Amino acid sequence: MKQLAYYPGCTLYTKSKNLDLCARETAQILGVELKELETWNCCGAIYSTVQDDLANQVAPIRNLIEAQKISKKLVTLCAACYNVLKRSNRALFLKENDIYCKRMMNYLETEYLGDTETVHYLEVLKNDIGFENLKSKVKRNLSGLKVASYYGCLMLRPSDEMNFDDPDNPMMMDDMFSALGATPVEFPFKGECCGGYVLVNKPDVATKCAQTILESIIDTGADCVATTCPLCQYNIDNQQKLMSKQFNLPIFYFTQLLGLALGIDEKILNFENHYIDPKPLLKQKGLI
Amino acid sequence: MKSEKKRIGVFVCHCGINIAGTVNVPDVVKRLKDTTDAAVVIDHQYCCSDPGQDLIKDTIKKEKLDGAVVACCSPTLHENTFRKAVASIGINPYNCEIANIREQCSWVTDDKEKATDKATKIIKTIIKKVQHDEPLTPISIPVTRKALVVGGGVAGIQVALDIAQAGYPVILLEKSPSIGGKMSMLSETFPTLDCSQCILTPKMVEAKQHPNITLMTYSEIDSISGYIGNFKVKVRQKVKYVDWDKCTGCDICVGKCPKKVSDEFNCGLSERKVIYKMFPQAVPNRVVIDAANCLYLQKGACRLCEKHCPFEAIKWDDKDETKELEVGAIVLATGYELLDKKMLGSYGFGKLKNVVDGLRFERILSASGPFMGEVRRPSDGKIPEKVVFVQCAGSRDQENAMAYCSKICCMYTAKQAILYKHRVHHGEAIVFYIDVRTGGKGFEEFYKRATDEGTLYIRGKVSKIFEKGDKVIVWGADTITGKKVEIEADLVVLATAMVPSATKEFAQLLKVTQDEYGWFTEAHPKLRPVETLAGGFFLAGASQGPKDIPEAVSQASGAACKVITLFASETLEHLPVIAGVDEDLCSGCAVCIDVCPYNAREIQIKEDGKKKTVKVIEVLCEGCGACSAACPVGAAQQKNFQDKQIEDMVEVGLE
Repeated sequence: MKQLAYYPGCTLYTKSKNLDLCARETAQILGVELKELETWNCCGAIYSTVQDDLANQVAPIRNLIEAQKISKKLVTLCAACYNVLKRSNRALFLKENDIYCKRMMNYLETEYLGDTETVHYLEVLKNDIGFENLKSKVKRNLSGLKVASYYGCLMLRPSDEMNFDDPDNPMMMDDMFSALGATPVEFPFKGECCGGYVLVNKPDVATKCAQTILESIIDTGADCVATTCPLCQYNIDNQQKLMSKQFNLPIFYFTQLLGLALGIDEKILNFENHYIDPKPLLKQKGLI
Repeated sequence: MKSEKKRIGVFVCHCGINIAGTVNVPDVVKRLKDTTDAAVVIDHQYCCSDPGQDLIKDTIKKEKLDGAVVACCSPTLHENTFRKAVASIGINPYNCEIANIREQCSWVTDDKEKATDKATKIIKTIIKKVQHDEPLTPISIPVTRKALVVGGGVAGIQVALDIAQAGYPVILLEKSPSIGGKMSMLSETFPTLDCSQCILTPKMVEAKQHPNITLMTYSEIDSISGYIGNFKVKVRQKVKYVDWDKCTGCDICVGKCPKKVSDEFNCGLSERKVIYKMFPQAVPNRVVIDAANCLYLQKGACRLCEKHCPFEAIKWDDKDETKELEVGAIVLATGYELLDKKMLGSYGFGKLKNVVDGLRFERILSASGPFMGEVRRPSDGKIPEKVVFVQCAGSRDQENAMAYCSKICCMYTAKQAILYKHRVHHGEAIVFYIDVRTGGKGFEEFYKRATDEGTLYIRGKVSKIFEKGDKVIVWGADTITGKKVEIEADLVVLATAMVPSATKEFAQLLKVTQDEYGWFTEAHPKLRPVETLAGGFFLAGASQGPKDIPEAVSQASGAACKVITLFASETLEHLPVIAGVDEDLCSGCAVCIDVCPYNAREIQIKEDGKKKTVKVIEVLCEGCGACSAACPVGAAQQKNFQDKQIEDMVEVGLE
């Protein structure tokens, strides 16, 4: 079986176990082993934009070096990890960064040439496995389920650095759901900010951001939302309790719906871990 | 080369204090007298003045000189002056050379001693060069006094009319079935609000009727060969399925045609028939069949147009027609397009029906447009109560689209806001802008009129446009108050960036250079704005960069004037300082053919059929010297820059 280095990141080990476990399990079904790095550390969580960022960049780069023991590609799932790992590598190996690069090497145990490519699991599904192939592995067709694919900002921007999908109209997750039989919906806030860490000190501001997104999704008649990022999931799921309007909209990780379609065990899917209980919806649609 | 030595006169110019302030001119004169074989060395305050030129001429006559060196400013300034002066008394002008002791000497240092040394050396090298200069005669090329104008918009029409009026034949080429270009799509024009069609159609008709103008519409260029004065252009008229000699433009067929498709002239806001005329005032007043959508051509059924045509003009066996034209000058008036909608994703352009670009709004405003002049929005035909105009949509946006200013948008946005408020009295017009640029006659007053008549201007950029119900929501920043703005609009008009129509492939076909965005580059941004560096190609209108109508028209007349100047004589003179080939030395290795940037060299086979040598096509050679440097055996020699001359010059230079 094809092995790809896998970096889960801190949140996927704790709050977002369902994002992580569903990914590992679905990959297995699709013929790819997501092999976790032997040792790894925090990616840094937020891409550093300070002038002297050497110390901040060492952490993500160490993970990229570790990945080389397994493969040249490093798969991630959390949008924040994906953003930080990808950008740190790029910043280090920009042509004009020669001196910076040499300085960084002083802090690393191994010589590193910048050739670890950070990819998102969605990209693995699209490019390594292929949506057509994915379609043929579907056990439980998601037809009748209208899904709003919410990408958040970190996967898409800065677009010239992330180079993930059209930053104004991303379609990768939507295309995946089409392959699973679900109906993707169009809404204008696919890449808008969920409020992010602002939640910690200004919860009202963050909640308003999340509410704007949900309002536009509810207008489309979507049954549920799929996200790639633990923080997005938290902000638009848990914060529904603080919103001035009741949406009662289940918020999934995209790997949960993928797992559902590929027929993995309900225990792994872990639908317990949500603020808005998704089970009534799934029962109504005949999916569980 | 002559064996006997030339009698050379050296004339050292003071150029006021420009040269004499740093170079000790009397000392230079003395040193040259002592150390060179120059027959005469004289200095003068201003050699380029009439007395200065007279001194040169008189000295040459008196001393019986046959060569001259003028030590003065750069040859780009006065080489011509002095060569003409010596020619007037019978000396071959190519035996008069400039020693540049100003730009390359006196201006670049304060060190008088060094400057004097260097000036002496420069002059000495040129004396050596003149010693072996040959008398040369300019090459004469015949000129085909007929012009080709590419693009039938207002600029192209103006060029054609001006050249035709001067008495020369012109071919006006247009890729659409009718001339008229973008201007024919506009509603009214700023800052006087006269109807665009009303002022354009007389010019279109005049172009059609002018005896010196041949219209070739629905045509494109396949290939171009030749050079200034002597181009050969292959033009293909696209298949029309209508015999234009028989068609009268009566439109009966259009009425009978059963199939409708999106109308390009109305930017997709309405439909046209498959057999169609672009617009009622089309010139020529003829119809064409859009083969891709024709029921008969695609599915073999229908032929209603043929049945009803009273003139039997439908021609199913019609084919592309290729013609070869011979012209002496080509004017590029290829115009502009609006930025691709893909680049404006965050503004929903191309996705949201009620977000339109400037040209679509012109059609909405136009009395002959899809809504007959009533302002209605595309999605549901409702009259929009609130319209948001977004300036610089893709212009002045280095990160996402075009870094340049599209120049016309400030004014046309003001115009569109004024016209909207004229039609919808209670309507609200809101403009987002970065700066309002009103550089033009009557422009600032016009902008004032827009604000006086109630248009609200908000300084700031728009970040996102999306739909909510049947409204279009505009998110933007007001950078004066520092607040975020959200507006619920009925219609949004984007002042989308102008981009060039001409593609890279087309420019490569012509060998005319484009800038990084694809606008054609002029020969000099200030002093030669309508010429290109490719001889015989001229620029008019927005092919060179964003322009409004008055500017496009005046540049068109400028380009026409350049063509007329070129046509004023039957022959052209080409500088004789070009490369030659010593056929005894040439081995025919063809290295020089690859390095020549002007395609001026080709292989020829000698009469005996054995020896191959390289031949110079003299009119194409620009004398750059690349071949002389590349030739491994020294067979390629540049006239008056022969190896012997350069060696002599280097030798004195290193003394």
